[in-house]
Amino acid sequence: VTPLPVGILGAAHPHAAAYAACLGRIPGARLVAVADPDPARGAPLAARHGARYVRDDDELLRQPLAAVIVCSENARHAGQVMAAAAAGRHVLCEKPLATDLADARRMLAACRRHGVQLQTAFPVRYHPAVAAARAAVAAGRVGRVLAMRGSNRGRMPGLWFADPALAGGGAVIDHTVHVVDLMRWFTGAEVAEVYAEVDTRFHDLAVDDAAVLSLRFTDGTIASHDPSWSRPAAFPTWGDVALEVVGSEGVLHVEPMAQHLDHYSERAGRLVHAAWGDDWDPLMVQDFVDAVATGRPVAVTGEDGLRALEVAIAAYRSAAGGRPVRLPLPDYAPP
Amino acid sequence: VRVALVGAGTMGTVHAEAWRRLPGVELVAILARDPSPLPGRLGVAAVSSWEELLAHGPELVDVCVPTDLHPAFVLRAAAAGLHVVVEKPLALRLEDGRAMIAACAAAGVRLFVAHVVRFFPEYARARELVRAGAVGRVGVVRTFRGGGPPRGVDDWFADPARSGGPVLDLLIHDFDWLRWTLGEVRRVFCRVADGRHAIATLRCADGAIAEVTGSWAHPAGFHTAFEVAGSEGLLAHDSRRAAPLTLSLRRPADGGGGTAVPAAVAAQDPYTRELAHFLACLRDGGEPLVTAADALAALAVALAASASARSGLPCAPEVTEP
Repeated sequence: VTPLPVGILGAAHPHAAAYAACLGRIPGARLVAVADPDPARGAPLAARHGARYVRDDDELLRQPLAAVIVCSENARHAGQVMAAAAAGRHVLCEKPLATDLADARRMLAACRRHGVQLQTAFPVRYHPAVAAARAAVAAGRVGRVLAMRGSNRGRMPGLWFADPALAGGGAVIDHTVHVVDLMRWFTGAEVAEVYAEVDTRFHDLAVDDAAVLSLRFTDGTIASHDPSWSRPAAFPTWGDVALEVVGSEGVLHVEPMAQHLDHYSERAGRLVHAAWGDDWDPLMVQDFVDAVATGRPVAVTGEDGLRALEVAIAAYRSAAGGRPVRLPLPDYAPP
Repeated sequence: VRVALVGAGTMGTVHAEAWRRLPGVELVAILARDPSPLPGRLGVAAVSSWEELLAHGPELVDVCVPTDLHPAFVLRAAAAGLHVVVEKPLALRLEDGRAMIAACAAAGVRLFVAHVVRFFPEYARARELVRAGAVGRVGVVRTFRGGGPPRGVDDWFADPARSGGPVLDLLIHDFDWLRWTLGEVRRVFCRVADGRHAIATLRCADGAIAEVTGSWAHPAGFHTAFEVAGSEGLLAHDSRRAAPLTLSLRRPADGGGGTAVPAAVAAQDPYTRELAHFLACLRDGGEPLVTAADALAALAVALAASASARSGLPCAPEVTEP
């Protein structure tokens, strides 16, 4: 079997390097080319994996690729995904899927029209602890779900993440989508209403870095989520991902990053978490590659990305209006 | 000081034991509606009526009955010229709280409200650090408080008309601590699931964002946690990771029951520390660490949260003092 030829479209997101490394380790796939307008960003990454560097997206799409992984700045996802779809390439797109709902909708429509699959990169679903947690909730182990409490806090990521034009927002758009995706996946329900307090409190930025979201789901479940860029540089790792599910018969807490060693490092001058658990990135990339190779539907769809994005956008609108916001938003159109 | 206790439930028992530890205090009578083993165990007179209680000549009455009964007992104590300690929340309605404060002031007696969280050293230490600027500008605060369903006489906690539900019974602790630590609350939004799990989202006057969760749906047992994230640091506490002593037994001596009261390992437990502080204030006329006005303000935040949970809209707490 020839390995599936894959290209990386945009290397602005740090995950480009992680996904390139995953492709190198997966027997069924091969990184063929990396496109990025900045040679300083794209060329070394391509060279490291024996792939071709191209400056231009169209040139990458002229390569004989089966699929692309889009890792550009959030605002560039839409154009690239639509171009890839038009070229007949399946797409794994970094989260958040887009910076506004109209773009996200156009991306889904383009992929559907051109008969290619679109997967949203929500790798947390692939961690065995998270998958086991979802199975436990689905099996009714905690009874009827009453409430959830999510966390996805991080350090301020810098780069373009704090540029409103490129990122589409700050901590809320960056760190809401992973956990909202888990909440939707765990309950099988959609978010019906969002209330949020959003502000810039930790850093001198043009985007938000502090927020708490309060959610109500279509099945009545209530939830809160903290997406803040609130981890100081002294924090032992980049951040956290955690979800607590409170049910009528019990409580489940899942925190994949709990699998770490406490490393009290003289060199770092602080405590450092040395992770030893499963890395979710290769599990996700492998699953995407398998779906493309076999033609089965991807496990995490473009619609999943759109739904999670809608919650982040609703949070901004709630904060701006000082009121809860009902979903679906007027500019959300079901795929 | 001659102290009479009203109520022999979970908090009545905790307070009775704390009073007994304090020098210069004589616990003269315990008023209980139903026959209770507590007075006999402590060798204190058991009484079954208010008149009987007065006959023991108390100077201070400690009110540890279900919340809906707080106003009546506090007003009676004030009318009898007795100082008062009352469990939190002060009352279920602001007008009751105001009437209780006014009655005590008019009678010239002290009114102490047992917001015990201010006497928990981890909460006091965090507040001290935050106010000293240890985390810089506060951005996001998250707190958790909860455990299994509290069991009280007639299952009164489960009746929102008597306890106010988790918002007034549980979240009010953290509302008070937030006010104490960060200042007034500008607005609150709240959702409640099944009358036993509540999530409140707050904005403080200084701009800090807070999420306060309280639950009676955590079967693993009572625990508390908080995190204060600021521009220059992060403070985190989880009672499950802060136990200096653990004891695992092959055969648990006790199947549990009653309302969960956090186990404290300290030279002086927070309840004793709290009552000792009230006693000192009574003796020297000083202002307590938590005033009746603070209790009223915390109640205003909790009532705003309850109103938000009903209306589905954010709510500004009523301003309870100028």
